[in-house]
Amino acid sequence: MINDIKVGALIAYCSIKRGNKKTLAFIVFVLSLIFLNLVFLPSMIGGLSGMFTGFMQDYPYGDIVIEPGGDNTYINNADNVLQIVRAVNGVRAATKRLDAAASIEHKQKVVGSTITGILPAEEYDISRYPYIISEGDFLGELSRDEIIIGAMLVEGYFGSEIYDNLGQVREGSLVDVTYSNGVKRTYKVKGIMEGTFEVVDLNALVHYKEIEDVYGLNGTEATRVVVRINKQGTEDIVKEKIISAGVKEPAFTWADKSDKILRQAMQSIGAINVMSKFVSLVVGAALILIIIYINVLNRKKEIGILKAVGITPGSIVLSYAFLSMFYVLMGIFVGLILYFTLMLYFQANPFRMYESIKIRPEIDYLFLIQNILTMLVLSVIAGILPAWMVSKESILKAIWGR
Amino acid sequence: MIIVKNLKRFYGTGANTVKALDGVTFEIKEGEIVAIMGASGSGKTTLLRILALLDDATEGVYTIQGLEVSSLPESERSYYRLTEVGYVFQDYALINEMSAAENVYVLSLMEGKSKKDSYETALEALAKVGLKDKHARIPDELSGGEKQRVAIARAIAKKPHILFADEPCANLDTTNSRQVLEVFKELNEKYGQTIVMVTHEPWHIEYVDRVITLKDGIIISDEREKTHPSS
Ligand SMILES: Nc1ncnc2c1ncn2[C@@H]1O[C@H](COP(=O)(O)OP(=O)(O)OP(=O)(O)O)[C@@H](O)[C@H]1O
Ligand SMILES: [Mg+2]
Repeated sequence: MINDIKVGALIAYCSIKRGNKKTLAFIVFVLSLIFLNLVFLPSMIGGLSGMFTGFMQDYPYGDIVIEPGGDNTYINNADNVLQIVRAVNGVRAATKRLDAAASIEHKQKVVGSTITGILPAEEYDISRYPYIISEGDFLGELSRDEIIIGAMLVEGYFGSEIYDNLGQVREGSLVDVTYSNGVKRTYKVKGIMEGTFEVVDLNALVHYKEIEDVYGLNGTEATRVVVRINKQGTEDIVKEKIISAGVKEPAFTWADKSDKILRQAMQSIGAINVMSKFVSLVVGAALILIIIYINVLNRKKEIGILKAVGITPGSIVLSYAFLSMFYVLMGIFVGLILYFTLMLYFQANPFRMYESIKIRPEIDYLFLIQNILTMLVLSVIAGILPAWMVSKESILKAIWGR
Repeated sequence: MIIVKNLKRFYGTGANTVKALDGVTFEIKEGEIVAIMGASGSGKTTLLRILALLDDATEGVYTIQGLEVSSLPESERSYYRLTEVGYVFQDYALINEMSAAENVYVLSLMEGKSKKDSYETALEALAKVGLKDKHARIPDELSGGEKQRVAIARAIAKKPHILFADEPCANLDTTNSRQVLEVFKELNEKYGQTIVMVTHEPWHIEYVDRVITLKDGIIISDEREKTHPSS
């Protein structure tokens, strides 16, 4: 066996050293493209979903969200929950929110929307709502007759042409809101928020107390408790701590939530991604096999000679495993250079969707390593299989072709 | 001791069948130098390949030292080719991507010798055929005669029990031919090697003990040329 390895290595070494350099360059180039194909699109899609999940954290769900259990509309003891959660180690901040369905009217234009009641002072530590006001100001503690409108509801803003909008609403405009229980209120627009994300820009924000008043709640209800943590990556640990601290309502990490949302919103993209990964892998495997197979066929005579002078089939097969591993390693190396060059480029010049959504590809090292290993395994199989087939042929046939 | 009984080798089937060997029977004693002669197409290469286990007979019995080699499994035949047999191909059959030395060296490495020993063995063999100074060249950089001598060096480097050589001097001038034949003779005398070689040149006969002549796949004569001192 050790002799087989030595001889296999010698044969592979000689054929790399003295083989045709142009062929080598071409093979390596093709293999590098195969590798790039395997990893590039998933990185872009990873960037896309990374952007989505970032939105999930920054707006609706925070790092961890606690929602009403069972059929309940509300978390009935929200203040109690908040008290427990804030005491949990690793929690940075928490707040409660109340969602309500409503229609908003402005100069005969009506749109349906979700209005979220928030505690403005607390949101500064929780979400990016206070920081995305592109016109006017964010709500204050005394903002009882004021509303923040999402940009897609306002004519002239990014995305407003996609759905119905309220026309020329500006800071100071008055809008009439009819809540799902029939209660009507009139609000002055305090600001317009623009998050380039439908879940934000199609909604509106009012003070928590407003929703409480409208629905006649008694001060401890919430549709969501949103939690931010100290250290990214500890979501699951903190979630478990919250549960064991005695919170009865179901808690979800942003990842739990994003998975669900992504499954819906990005189902098609996800399917494309899976398909493309699968197709890339199959095509890649086939190409590697074909490249090595052609190589083996070209050197059939040599295989015959080696066998004729007593070189074991084991060494011959091993030499091809080494050879194709070398090709693939070189291909991966060049592929990685191409990949990181492209990544750097797209990090600096992100893809733009509409005007303001930027997609930066994400580098997932685990995924890279997975693909490198996959290609290496494929290369060994691709090297061994054809060489093994040829080495089974009779010597005369291999050398003299008959 | 090689014993061949009624050996046949047919190529093709039906009406196209070529009877390259049509029943040959002979024995070769250990330490004998045998020349196989005959016209082109008479079956010399075919016979040599079967004897060296590069090919299978269609019919007949073939034993070496009492061992029925034709029925050995491929792995043992491979080992036998590596350790017992040297073969000089009519068309050299060198590995184009290996230097002269590497072409020889790879076999010693396969046998389990150390790199250093293998290299020395290879250089020694190349020196015997007068190619020591060209050991680093690849086959494309060598003349036909030089390639032939590399092929000879590869076959003799391991000092095999039996050396088969298919027209080893076909591309050599008289001086080089003599050098090669002297090497064969020396190996035979020093190590008692059995040598079976195909040749066309009548003057080679002075180096051999015996001449077997083939015609259309059968033996038409089998003569001891002269009395060898050892027999
Ligand atoms: N693979 C093959 N298929 C069909 N016929 C073959 C094959 N190999 C050899 N032959 C035929 O078998 C016969 C013997 O061939 P062989 O090569 O043994 O001749 P040879 O005596 O070595 O000739 P030369 O002196 O030209 O080398 C020839 O008629 C040849 O055409
Ligand atoms: Mg011949």
